[in-house]
Amino acid sequence: MEPPKEQQNTPEKSISDAPATISSAFPPSGCCTNCGGPTISEAPPPLASFPEMSPPPNYRPIRAPAINLPHNSQAIILSPVPHAEQVPVVSPPYHFQSPVKRIHSPDDIRRFHESASCKNFLGFVVSLSESIRGFKISDPCHISPTVAAIVSILETLLQWIDEIPPAQQSARYGNVSFRSWHERLRERGESLILEFLPEEFKESVIEIVPYFFDSFGNSSRIDYGTGHETNFAAWLYCLARMGIVKEEDYHSLVARVFVKYLELMRKLQMVYCLEPAGSHGVWGLDDYHFLPFIFGSSQLIDHKYMKPKSIHNDDILENFSSEYMYLSCIAFVKKVKKGLFAEHSPLLDDISGVPNWKKVNSGLLKMYRVEVLEKVPIMQHFLFGWLIKWEE
Amino acid sequence: MSDLDKQIEQLKRCEALKESEVKALCLKAMEILVEESNVQRVDAPVTICGDIHGQFYDMKELFKVGGDCPKTNYLFLGDFVDRGFYSVETFLLLLALKVRYPDRITLIRGNHESRQITQVYGFYDECLRKYGSVNVWRYCTDIFDYLSLSALVENKIFCVHGGLSPAIMTLDQIRAIDRKQEVPHDGAMCDLLWSDPEDIVDGWGLSPRGAGFLFGGSVVTSFNHSNNIDYICRAHQLVMEGYKWMFNSQIVTVWSAPNYCYRCGNVAAILELDENLNKEFRVFDAAPQESRGALAKKPAPDYFL
Repeated sequence: MEPPKEQQNTPEKSISDAPATISSAFPPSGCCTNCGGPTISEAPPPLASFPEMSPPPNYRPIRAPAINLPHNSQAIILSPVPHAEQVPVVSPPYHFQSPVKRIHSPDDIRRFHESASCKNFLGFVVSLSESIRGFKISDPCHISPTVAAIVSILETLLQWIDEIPPAQQSARYGNVSFRSWHERLRERGESLILEFLPEEFKESVIEIVPYFFDSFGNSSRIDYGTGHETNFAAWLYCLARMGIVKEEDYHSLVARVFVKYLELMRKLQMVYCLEPAGSHGVWGLDDYHFLPFIFGSSQLIDHKYMKPKSIHNDDILENFSSEYMYLSCIAFVKKVKKGLFAEHSPLLDDISGVPNWKKVNSGLLKMYRVEVLEKVPIMQHFLFGWLIKWEE
Repeated sequence: MSDLDKQIEQLKRCEALKESEVKALCLKAMEILVEESNVQRVDAPVTICGDIHGQFYDMKELFKVGGDCPKTNYLFLGDFVDRGFYSVETFLLLLALKVRYPDRITLIRGNHESRQITQVYGFYDECLRKYGSVNVWRYCTDIFDYLSLSALVENKIFCVHGGLSPAIMTLDQIRAIDRKQEVPHDGAMCDLLWSDPEDIVDGWGLSPRGAGFLFGGSVVTSFNHSNNIDYICRAHQLVMEGYKWMFNSQIVTVWSAPNYCYRCGNVAAILELDENLNKEFRVFDAAPQESRGALAKKPAPDYFL
């Protein structure tokens, strides 16, 4: 989308380029705008860049790369719902590499979104969502040795929280003991992953371990957000790219692995007081998570009596949140946030007015693409290697 | 009662102005802000406030605790917008007070006073939702470019939203910055709005935020000594008690958004300095539920249509 005219990068104008009305109205640089006398620093421009005015000579609205205004309503409404994609499985020779950050500007975001990497990753998320459609969490599902191993790793990580209690501290929000937990993750995480990797993929740790380490929050800032959650999905996607998890595992990846990950993250959030990383506040879905709302809404598609408005029924939340991820998320939000639901979670409140879960699910998929995968402040931290390629 | 006074009263009731009024207010504010220095001189007594993030009713609590403007002289350290429900009303009230009492309230720029950041964290969505167009967002973000980068209280207390920069040794170097632009992705101006002090760093470290730097105690000691200041006062980071001293009382973080994101359970604080620069922190809680206005029911967002 073309940025509006006043937001494009334009070469700096010289005084002589300025319209006569502006250049004659103000004294030259180095003179006071009130009396015309000398000043220590350059005189600042007195007018704004409102549409009907020319910008003053030394004013540059954007010197950083031009930004793109978010999609307009019509574009959002008409944009296609992301659809499931078969994950392209890699074949030898393998070229695993240490992944690096590539996204620095809206142009980079655009490039990423036009790439096969993005289409395939988002398609994987949609496939996970579809795999759980109509199923309760407790419904039986195929559990491969790999899925069992991943669940076991997450159990181990949960156990570490009990072994590393929060420090008695004042002043800051995040508890510094999270750094000890994260340090242990860095010390032992690779060996935990190596235990279930097939021999031919042992060398992939150089590439996949960074996604795993970034899946549980930032140890420096002691925070967690949707970017970290996206890293966990990316780690699972890398396993799918190598064929270590297969399509028949997708149901259990959601119902067993992701549910366990959510349990782990909630415990980390509560015990170590992880600060919401880049929370959108009342303008976002949730301070920490996005994917469980997608998977959870898929679970409820075609449910006989539970509708989006059922989230306001406390009996339903109490009785069914252990079986349906969406309800579990709502119950958790209501537990940890103070005040009226419509005030602290207006977006979730709005969504409860959507007529059916299919619309909720497709809307959330569109929203995930735009509000998470298309945002520079979130995606600037995302890593690219050989399995998730940066396409020049 | 002047139109401006009426608008201030209206904004105090958390009622948004008309688009045409916003435009006129922003033009008036610009004429005032354009005259201010990158290091704006502030006289004591003054009350210093940290992040607000659109928590309008909590800002009303702040004024209850600290006193109304102009009776109290205020310095706000940025991050007026994003995340909270009432960024429009919050920023416009502060801006209207600035126009009405320019010598009794100082507003400096935070990292959220930026086009790119407000498109992600809520202010853009809020303007679109409340006005049906992006014009108000444009007027406000144009104003953001004119906000000062820092303030200096009685030549002794350096106030900034984020922190220090490896490119800045002296206050004169800040004065030399061309501030009238979108916050750049790197460089001195960016660092002032994005950097954080960090106990576990000595010297400079990379910031996990993706902008700015982490800086340690030795950096603060050196900066304070070089510029003959007593301490730095900054915001930008949530702290549970509302304020937090670091590095042997050489830098203090002030946070003024209580129960941040409705979940963090933190108190907020403001720092009152008397004419002799004696300090008193005033701590306050989130506004009680009964003092918050009713929310209008909004239609489902575009994604779900």
